[in-house]
Amino acid sequence: MNLQEALHIIEKSLSYLYPELILTGGILVLITISLFKRISSIVFSVVSISICLATISLLVEEGLLRASLFSGIIVKESFSTYLKILANIGSLVTCVMTLSSNNQRMKSAEFYALLLTIVLGGHFLVMSNNLLMVFISMEIISISSYVLAGHANTKEASEGSLKYFLFGSVASAIMLYGFSLLYGVTGTLDFATEGFVKGITEYNSPILLIAGFMALAGFLFKVGAAPMHPWAPDVYQGASVPVVAFLSVVPKLAGIGILIKFILVISAYGQSKYDWQAIISVVAILTLTVGNFSALAQRNLKRMMAYSSIAQTGFLLVGIAAYLPEGIQFMLFYATVYVAMNFIVFISLQFFEQRNIWNTEHFAGTGRLLLWPSISMLIGLIALTGLPPTAGFTGKLFIFSSLWEAYHLSEKNILLWLFVFGLLNTVVSLFYYLKIPYYAFLKEGQSVEKGNFNLWENLLSLILVLVVLGLFFAPGLLMCWINSVNFVL
Amino acid sequence: MQQYLLSLLIFIPLIAAIVVLFVPSVFQRSFRMITLSASILQAIIFTIILSSSSADASFIIKEQTTWFSIDIGSWGILKAEYFVLLDGLNVSLVALSIGVMLIATIASWKETKNQKGYYALLLILNTAIVGSFTALDFLLFYLFFEFMLLPMFFLIGIWGGPRREYASIKFFLYTLLGSIFILIALIALYISVHDPSAVPGKLVHSFNLLTMADPKNYISNSILDPNNLWMVGPLSARTWIFLLIFFGFAIKLPMVPVHTWLPDAHVEASTPISVILAALLLKIGGYGILRIAYPILPDAAVELSWIVATFGVISIIYGALNALASKDLKRLIAYSSVSHMGFVILGISSVTSEGVTGAIYQMFSHGIISAMLFLIAGVLYDRTHDRIINNYSGLASRMPAYFVMVLVAFFASLGLPGFSGFIAEIMVFLGAFRSASANGLIHESFAIIATSGLVLGAAYYLWTIQRMFFGPFDLKGIASKSELYDLTPREYILLLPLAFSALAFGIFPQLILNWINPFAQQFIEAVLSKGASLTSNL
Repeated sequence: MNLQEALHIIEKSLSYLYPELILTGGILVLITISLFKRISSIVFSVVSISICLATISLLVEEGLLRASLFSGIIVKESFSTYLKILANIGSLVTCVMTLSSNNQRMKSAEFYALLLTIVLGGHFLVMSNNLLMVFISMEIISISSYVLAGHANTKEASEGSLKYFLFGSVASAIMLYGFSLLYGVTGTLDFATEGFVKGITEYNSPILLIAGFMALAGFLFKVGAAPMHPWAPDVYQGASVPVVAFLSVVPKLAGIGILIKFILVISAYGQSKYDWQAIISVVAILTLTVGNFSALAQRNLKRMMAYSSIAQTGFLLVGIAAYLPEGIQFMLFYATVYVAMNFIVFISLQFFEQRNIWNTEHFAGTGRLLLWPSISMLIGLIALTGLPPTAGFTGKLFIFSSLWEAYHLSEKNILLWLFVFGLLNTVVSLFYYLKIPYYAFLKEGQSVEKGNFNLWENLLSLILVLVVLGLFFAPGLLMCWINSVNFVL
Repeated sequence: MQQYLLSLLIFIPLIAAIVVLFVPSVFQRSFRMITLSASILQAIIFTIILSSSSADASFIIKEQTTWFSIDIGSWGILKAEYFVLLDGLNVSLVALSIGVMLIATIASWKETKNQKGYYALLLILNTAIVGSFTALDFLLFYLFFEFMLLPMFFLIGIWGGPRREYASIKFFLYTLLGSIFILIALIALYISVHDPSAVPGKLVHSFNLLTMADPKNYISNSILDPNNLWMVGPLSARTWIFLLIFFGFAIKLPMVPVHTWLPDAHVEASTPISVILAALLLKIGGYGILRIAYPILPDAAVELSWIVATFGVISIIYGALNALASKDLKRLIAYSSVSHMGFVILGISSVTSEGVTGAIYQMFSHGIISAMLFLIAGVLYDRTHDRIINNYSGLASRMPAYFVMVLVAFFASLGLPGFSGFIAEIMVFLGAFRSASANGLIHESFAIIATSGLVLGAAYYLWTIQRMFFGPFDLKGIASKSELYDLTPREYILLLPLAFSALAFGIFPQLILNWINPFAQQFIEAVLSKGASLTSNL
């Protein structure tokens, strides 16, 4: 390949990367602004415009089937586009949440620049088809997340950030070592190629299993799944609410997106002699159980939501464990609903935290005085539990349906265990999700001032609540779109 | 208009609930009027439905449209329906729920705490109850079934007694566990069936309960295919699913040993909520077993009938023994409910026309009588805030009218001939006795042991009357004598219709047996023939 050809490939590939280019431009503008003026309204409009533009350009090219860019390092297809749109929506909601924050640091240009960097990393991560690219995008996300986690600049935030950093660096190192072993085994870094799969099927040594586990460690760290979850509670407790909401959605979904691809190739599309479906099922069972049972003991709401988000990761993993195209589609449905219901809870949480309510006991008696935030919280929690009439129920129904079908096709008992464990975990989760409405509505408590959401919070929660309820009564609206999503490597 | 009557019946309370939410709290007094008028409107619509006859004998009125239909590529189409129907099984229960909700509304007349929330929740609960009695699509049923939990949780938890928080959480967790069992069954079932009416070449997974009840609709070699049993451990997948549905509903029923949420919930709930809980919510357990577990999995039902019967008999005896030992009047009534719902299980397990008719009749009759019993307990509690039986004696002389009502309720509940409970229980016994010779499902000894439940029932009721009402008038504990006065006109309005119904349905059982009998006949034929043919295939 001479220089001419290489330049041509780059030029052609860049023309497919408008959303990412827009985001990069946004980041650069933000950094430049932060050097001169610090007017939050300008900063905010730059962020929201760049996210909106990126989303629009994603929607425009939505019909695109598959494009291999930069000689196959990055592949664009509808699956990654869908996850990117979700990530953009998540970051947009986060930005709107920061408007109601009373912490000025949350409105600085650096903060938004970091936010956009994570979204950019997420975009590249879900598109990666090359191990090195995976590592680079993962690091883009991780390093920005470490800073973001400590951005509140309190003692707790710094502690969480440092823990996140230490844990994350070790996870990255292990993952990188796993990648290098895989490279040694297969001779290529492009994991979607035939050479990679051939290498995996032909190589008969437990080294492959070890390499796979090491790589998995990095992914599980990113999505916050057991046993790589212990960073989550401290980070969540320390960081400010919009950051927590953001971290529990965007990096997680990006991680899930790449995990699906990785699991498919490491198992050589089911040809491998190691049963990666069983391994991911065990991880899912572990994640669900650890997340839910640890949440039971929590009194601090953010810590509780940290464990809740671990448990929710478990449900997303169920979609992967099903190993079916339908499973992935249903997983996307659940992921969408997860974004909506998670943000409902966090918007209310931010509202309550500003009134010094961050412990379950503090909620006593808030149900009557802070009626709408409490009701919005209740709907979000009911959706997270997975009770009708919320789309949280529909999502669980779909995901577990695909798992049942997978059990039928493969006859693996581990899938049946996952099925039963996963659904029974719902009862456990009810116990802690219900704690907040329990204190808010059932207990008499200390007097808080009467209050309500501000305009932005009201609007945002109303839209999200309508999404969560609407998708229960008409899941077809979203499933139509998801049906057109093709999962190809 | 005619075809939407049933939907109207279900959703009128929901509309009223929305109205209540939007009326400003200044007009507090209007909330109970709105609730009352919703119930009365329901009663009128119900009468209209009954008076118009349908051409098809198998149902009274039905509505069926597609709720959603999603194409999932290679996997086929997911189709849920809005399918509601009124037939011989649920017509009496819907009538019961309309009546009981009416009475519960009047019983809450003096509720003062946060009336807006209270009546809105009461109305939502009403929709959920009528909806779950009439839904014939599993997903729709599940929606209504789950939708009962949250209003009930708040109704017990906010307006209940001293330990209300504990009781409401316990209620929620137990029932959710049951719903998860049912959800597992729901997923397994709908994936295994296809809709035969769909366009050929298209695989349509349906949630329709009638589709699920036909063995021909199972996709061959699916996990629940009745012709090719899939084993999971020692039992077939069909048997597991039957057990899940059965225990899911048994928690609601409640059946020993999963009954422990009931006494707590009852003791802590306020009087109207106790009435709804005992008279309606428990019935959904029995209804679910009759509507879902038996028709859809007849082979497993027939195979396990003796286990079901055993649980029924244990419930009868254990519930009665607990009632005998109860010191609290409400707890006694709660345990008597457990005992009486045991008869429902025993009746169903016999799969004879007498047994099944008796089970449905028992649900109806217990709905009336338990409502009355809890109102009676409420009358005393309103006056003295004390329900401990031993703290009272000689009430008969002080409150003669109340004593008469107590006598009626207690005797109706213990199965005195002339009251509806007697008809129900005698039919259950007949069915349980005849089962051995008719279909060989359960042994006569089950019926014989169960009769001791009647003796125990007489014992705890008569002993209670003796302790509380006979002897010299005296009070112990916190109550003072001046607080005790006889029934007020509002209490007459509540108790008299119930007493009258208990008597009327005891003397003229054919009033509703005409509805139940054809259904029971159909039911046992379907279960026995399908059960036998499926079992002989093995």
